[in-house]
Amino acid sequence: MRKKTLCLLVIAAVILLPDPSIGQEEVASRYYHYRSTEMSTGIYEEYEVRPRGIHALFDGDKERQRDAGISRSDESESRAWNRLFLNDSHRGIAFYEYRRCVDCHPGNAQNRHTVRYGITCRQCHGGEPIASINHYFSRLNPIRQHTHVCSKCHSGAKASFALYAVHEPNPARASTIDSIPFLFYAFWIMVAIAVLTFALFIPHTFMWIVREIFHREKKQREE
Amino acid sequence: MRLHRFTLFQRLFHLLLMVSFLVQATTGVGRMYAETNFGKVLLTPFGGFYNALVWHKLVGIFMLVLFGVHLIYIMIVALRLRERSIMGPDSIIPNRMDMRMMVNHLGWMVGRNKIPPFERWGYWEKFDYWAVFWGMVIIGGTGLFLYDPLISSAIMPGWTINVAFWIHRIEAILAMAHVFLIHFAIAHLRRHNFPMDRAMFAGGADLESAKEERAAWISRLEQEGRLNNLTSRDTSLPGLVVSYLIGFSAILLGLYVIIGGIVNFRYVTW
Ligand code: HEC
Ligand code: HEC
Ligand code: HEC
Repeated sequence: MRKKTLCLLVIAAVILLPDPSIGQEEVASRYYHYRSTEMSTGIYEEYEVRPRGIHALFDGDKERQRDAGISRSDESESRAWNRLFLNDSHRGIAFYEYRRCVDCHPGNAQNRHTVRYGITCRQCHGGEPIASINHYFSRLNPIRQHTHVCSKCHSGAKASFALYAVHEPNPARASTIDSIPFLFYAFWIMVAIAVLTFALFIPHTFMWIVREIFHREKKQREE
Repeated sequence: MRLHRFTLFQRLFHLLLMVSFLVQATTGVGRMYAETNFGKVLLTPFGGFYNALVWHKLVGIFMLVLFGVHLIYIMIVALRLRERSIMGPDSIIPNRMDMRMMVNHLGWMVGRNKIPPFERWGYWEKFDYWAVFWGMVIIGGTGLFLYDPLISSAIMPGWTINVAFWIHRIEAILAMAHVFLIHFAIAHLRRHNFPMDRAMFAGGADLESAKEERAAWISRLEQEGRLNNLTSRDTSLPGLVVSYLIGFSAILLGLYVIIGGIVNFRYVTW
């Protein structure tokens, strides 16, 4: 009997008590996070997530500490780094210093900020080292992109604003369904409307013009 | 003799819509093609890349106001109908008759039957009207959304700006291609109207050719005894010159935009 009550109490405690304070806030949607917290409070830092205290695991080894939590950083283990989480996303890339951003990232140069407004990559991505987007302290980490990048030029930018895709995916590509599905569908629906309209009216107008030429000629002959 | 198809108010609206549409087309296409010389030429009269956007936004707001006034105008027209139906022969609302007219018209084009007698509005004119109407809603709506990305991203998630931008673009291309190719061809190029249908400008439509094309409408006007009130002599020379000047400059600009747009299509980062 007492065992049973104890078990039930433990289960109830697990279910009912709040998460321990070390539990970190995680949100699936940056947009709903923005609406539920930041929009009302205007404060964003409170919700920042710091990296877990991983440093203790590599006591004293500065080299390994730097890359901790990144994936493989041990050079003896010949596996690539996961560059999505590095503090210097170009670490170890040969001849990096001697090349231009567009040489290696040609697709990323095709954005309106660069092409039309003359904004350079570094104005958004910052000086060396250029952190991976998802590195904890990256200026382009979604949690602080709007304050650390966008609002330099767009003063008052909110997290929702930073959801604008600067490097816009090609709306015609099927892969866009994964990033911005609405963009893909809206694009093709609009294209379909345009194609239908012209498929109907261009032949229609052309036939009409041709027909009228003959219409008058016939009439003149009758007279 | 000339026939008055449109009231002064309607012609004024058409003129304002036309001028603002051309400004939007020039500044919009200019910015779209800003990387090419073609785009730069279009932007020059508006003071370059950044100033053209100011024009584009102001004229866009003007068009939305125009649209608002037009909505009020429709409501007044609808109220003044009293017991008459809004689906009457003078109505711009498409009905089943238009479908039949279109089939007969196509039949005439391929030589299967005689040309159908059109009423006041041909089915293609009704299509033009409603295309502009919904175009106004779609382009105007997305345009308003793009007006200030900071405000609109506070209402909707930021990626909707990417979506709105593409809808705005494609609908604008659709509208321009329709006006500069199809609308202009029907109002200027076909033999019936060549070189220009002046129904929307000084003088009005040509009565003889209207009798041929809009037989149903003309005979209705004759029956109701209204035909004489709607006909008049042609305008004097100045009215004629101004009409042709407006019409032909619009065509030139439209063709320049369309041809330049197609030729330079591959030089632009979309
Ligand atoms: C020598 C080729 C090279 C050059 C030059 C280069 N990069 Fe990279 N960059 C890479 C590679 C390889 C990666 C990692 C692969 C990946 O994730 O796409 C990367 C990753 C990145 C990332 C992180 C991607 C992510 O998803 O987190 C950013 C941001 C970035 N580069 C920006 C720049 C900028 C800005 C410049 C110019 C200052 C630049 N790169 C120059 C090769 C290069
Ligand atoms: C207006 C600011 C801005 C400019 C200018 C800019 N970027 Fe980015 N870039 C971003 C943002 C924001 C992201 C993150 C996208 C995300 O959150 O998914 C990013 C992501 C990236 C990535 C990661 C992979 C991807 O495509 O998402 C690479 C690589 C990159 N940028 C390279 C460049 C290069 C090269 C240039 C210069 C030609 C450049 N960027 C110019 C804002 C900018
Ligand atoms: C170095 C300055 C700078 C930074 C940083 C910057 N932008 Fe911009 N942005 C501009 C300029 C300049 C324009 C053009 C403004 C105009 O035409 O009125 C612009 C325009 C825009 C527009 C209007 C739509 C368009 O593409 O024309 C959006 C949306 C936008 N930026 C989003 C962002 C986001 C999101 C970020 C952060 C990731 C960002 N910007 C960072 C300078 C910047």
